[in-house]
Amino acid sequence: MTQTAPAGTASDTMLRIDGVHKWLGHNHVLRGVDIQVRAGEIVCILGPSGSGKSTLLRCINHLDPVDGGVIEVNGERIGHEVNGGQLYEQSERRVAKARQHIGMVFQHFNLFGHMTALDNVTYGPTRILGRPRKEAAAHARQLLAKVGLADKDASYPSQLSGGQQQRVAIARALAMEPRLMMFDEPTSALDPELVGEVLQTMRQVAEEGMTMIVVTHEIGFAREVADRVVFMDQGRVLEDGPAREVLDNPQHERTAAFLRRVH
Amino acid sequence: MSELNASSTPALTDPAHYVRRPGEEPPVQEAPIHAKRRPQYGQIVAGIVAIALLALFIQSQAQNPNMEWSVTWDYMFNPVVLQGVGVTIQLAVFAMLISIVLAFVIALMIQSNNKVANVIGRGYVWFFRGVPMLVQVLLWFNLAVLFPTILGQDTNGLISGFTAGLIALSLAESGYMAEIIRGGLISVPAGQTDAGVSIGLTRNQALARIVLPQSIRVIIPPTGNQFIGMLKATSLVSVIGGSDLLTRVQLIYGQNFKILPLLIVAVLWYLVLVTVAGIGQHFLERRFNASQPGSRKPRKRTPGSQATTTTTGGAQ
Repeated sequence: MTQTAPAGTASDTMLRIDGVHKWLGHNHVLRGVDIQVRAGEIVCILGPSGSGKSTLLRCINHLDPVDGGVIEVNGERIGHEVNGGQLYEQSERRVAKARQHIGMVFQHFNLFGHMTALDNVTYGPTRILGRPRKEAAAHARQLLAKVGLADKDASYPSQLSGGQQQRVAIARALAMEPRLMMFDEPTSALDPELVGEVLQTMRQVAEEGMTMIVVTHEIGFAREVADRVVFMDQGRVLEDGPAREVLDNPQHERTAAFLRRVH
Repeated sequence: MSELNASSTPALTDPAHYVRRPGEEPPVQEAPIHAKRRPQYGQIVAGIVAIALLALFIQSQAQNPNMEWSVTWDYMFNPVVLQGVGVTIQLAVFAMLISIVLAFVIALMIQSNNKVANVIGRGYVWFFRGVPMLVQVLLWFNLAVLFPTILGQDTNGLISGFTAGLIALSLAESGYMAEIIRGGLISVPAGQTDAGVSIGLTRNQALARIVLPQSIRVIIPPTGNQFIGMLKATSLVSVIGGSDLLTRVQLIYGQNFKILPLLIVAVLWYLVLVTVAGIGQHFLERRFNASQPGSRKPRKRTPGSQATTTTTGGAQ
């Protein structure tokens, strides 16, 4: 285990991914990924399907444990800890506590189907953070209003469109007041007509200074909102740089080929 | 029509560009068209044959002197029989309730990420689902052979036919119910667990608080089936004198030798119980479907009622 801090690491590093490997069965999905994200930075991860983008996000909050390398959020390792030179798995409760500060938005929304939109948003703050119900409900209403769904508080997920569900899911993640928000192809399961409203909501979140990692195929969104674009292919980072530079003037041939095909 | 045909002939020129103009409406249709159903001769013939056969059977039995219908009617509401019906209902309801509680624990143990709990749960299901109910009933009734006293009490005094039957039925049923509940848990998409875990629940918390409530809808229909099975399975306790419906009926025909008429009494009562249970199951399913978001009828809430719904909506 290398414990040397890279030269450029300032205290404002929100996420450090260092030499991460991941196998799913015999499939070597991540093959040494290094990415750093500073606080307040918005990073879009692009790449063909199967390039390991979603797996990387799942590794960040330890939904899937890494098989090599280190991931630190806000300076803390998630899932593993080193004690006396030995690597240990963290307890379920430790991991759960760490995940409270990392919001995640899924491709298929995954709203809790047995709860109304409002309950979906208040569940975490009341049942996990122990906030008073009234306070949590008031905050949740603000968040629902922010994502444009103030009137849908009593609706169940199945009564909402995909775009509305995804916006509630964003509100649910924000309700935990995360330090880092991860979006895993948030618009890929949506009808084309509904993509815009979700991207608009994400833009709003970005404007408030949230640190965001967005796995997406929406090049337009990346160009407009992202500070940086990371291009991944076959479990490796092929290109990582300022959004416009990478998108308009890709240096790696795979990036260029990919961007030509998506446009 | 001819125009339509003409335009649908393949033309290599530019396709027509239709734009609907304001006020342009298709002809009004008041009601859906109604096509007359063709006569279903097969159904009619089958129906007549079935009714004829049934009528023949009923007639032959109604006139069969060995059936002694009058005896059946005499004993239908005999207090001893009615008590038996009561005991059968008690056995079925209590055994079912106990088994459901046990089954939830076992199913959660099997699905938890605690390996020891998993092995214990699987072993439990293997044993109690594997040993025939009748054998389990006999085992519990003869417990005194192994443990003559329990906590200083005489085992035979402590475990009556009813208690032994109740324990045996509950345990045997819990093996099946555990698998039904586990099936319900598995039917909830994995994304629900991911979402629960991503906001800071542990895996086991997500299982109990997010996955379990959503599995209920899947669990209820087969549970209704199991209850109907249980109503009938209670008759097994007659081998240990469980004082249920069948035990009492056997007691009576042991004295007056009117075997068939009294068995018919049992048949009729079991059918009544099962029918009532079936109706209950129907309403239970409807209720649970209605309260679930996936149902046809959404919960109607007017915007004005928001303030009042907050408290109910948040109730756990």
